[in-house]
Amino acid sequence: MNGQAWLLLLDGAWTTLWISGTAIAIGVVLGLGVALLRMARIPFLDQLLVVYVSLARATPLVTLVLFIFLSAPTLGLNLDRNTAAILALTLNTAAFNAEVWRAAFLSFSREQREAALACGMTDRLFFRRIMLPQMVTTSLPGLVNEMSFIIKSSPAIAVIGIVDLTRVTNRITAVTYEPLPPILAAGLLYMLIVGVLIKLQAIAERKANRLAM
Amino acid sequence: MSDVPAVRIERLSKSFGGVEVLRDIELTVNKGEVVSVLGSSGSGKSTLLRCINWLEEPDRGSIHIAGQRIGIDASGRKMRNKELAALRARTGMVFQGFNLWPHLTVLHNVMESPVQVKGMRKDEARRIALELLEKVGMVEKADAYPYTLSGGQKQRVAIARALAMSPEVILFDEPTSALDPERVGEVLQVMKNLSAEGYTMIVVTHEMEFARAVSDQVVFLEKGLLIEKSDPETFFTNPASERVRRFLELA
Repeated sequence: MNGQAWLLLLDGAWTTLWISGTAIAIGVVLGLGVALLRMARIPFLDQLLVVYVSLARATPLVTLVLFIFLSAPTLGLNLDRNTAAILALTLNTAAFNAEVWRAAFLSFSREQREAALACGMTDRLFFRRIMLPQMVTTSLPGLVNEMSFIIKSSPAIAVIGIVDLTRVTNRITAVTYEPLPPILAAGLLYMLIVGVLIKLQAIAERKANRLAM
Repeated sequence: MSDVPAVRIERLSKSFGGVEVLRDIELTVNKGEVVSVLGSSGSGKSTLLRCINWLEEPDRGSIHIAGQRIGIDASGRKMRNKELAALRARTGMVFQGFNLWPHLTVLHNVMESPVQVKGMRKDEARRIALELLEKVGMVEKADAYPYTLSGGQKQRVAIARALAMSPEVILFDEPTSALDPERVGEVLQVMKNLSAEGYTMIVVTHEMEFARAVSDQVVFLEKGLLIEKSDPETFFTNPASERVRRFLELA
């Protein structure tokens, strides 16, 4: 592989990173929002969210990417490839994240809330200062795990013509007729990205253990 | 006004699902007094304590904290969360299970409410928190996280946290029941010191010696009724009720 091929690979890696990264950033917050709304048990909305979470978790990513990209014009939406890809990844990862957040909610101890109220805190203050920081810590291992999943599933976005880190290897092979070097290099780059996340997860787990008393 | 009692409870009643756990409780706690609440489990002791700061909402009756009614406002309506929180801030509570916030260090557990609820400046809150931790013998653990502490140490931090809001009264809900026997003494010692310093305390406990040595009043609950209220000497040597006499024989 020459320098040109490496530049193409890095370009593909960047595409994978920014599209997944955007979906992850929105998906973490959206997942928290879904979990919060579900904890509020608002009739009808709650059922709607259950359907969303089940559907999004059950649909293969490739199918979801295709569906969003192809159905958007019918719905009168003008989505470019990248927006469609980000939307699909976000809808998928947010559903998984919502379950991680919800587990953190459900396992939170009532006693800490009582201690906060007894000290004169309002429920809002309790949520912001006591509950949310701990939920972030306990959810982080699960959230980071989901982040590396979504990065590893992101080649699905190639189905609508986005040249990501996996797709770009085909392009390089088309010129060099040597498929092995680019795919090995791509594998290395995936390992680097996911390796950083796994490191982050280890740190998150160590921090989460502090909360288990 | 020194003659306004720290806590005044009148005709307090509370039921859970049709079962009456408190009935027409009357109790006045003056400033600087220590009141021990005794009774077998299920007698309503903890519920009484939790009604005082409205963690449980009473069905009937009234509770005044330093002259101010908690839970119901002047026009007879239920207080909104904010007003309720402001009144709760005038009481402190120490729980059987400590209930420290595990993501904060010892120092920050104590500083959190003064800073967030009262809007106290951080350096001021830190100074006060360190003083209080000194008082409960935990100042050298100021930067430790709760998970590194023993039960007795956690409870002493929880006491400092309750003191940090300068409450009119501190409510202790079986503060030594979850502790190893050898840790009970250190917590009781802190509570004795507080009473000597003039803090107003209501203590739900099974520690008879503590109740006898430290209390100004001892009350006894049985099936939601307050059946005995007297000074500790009378309570332990010559109680009016037969039920208390039997309780003391078994204790």
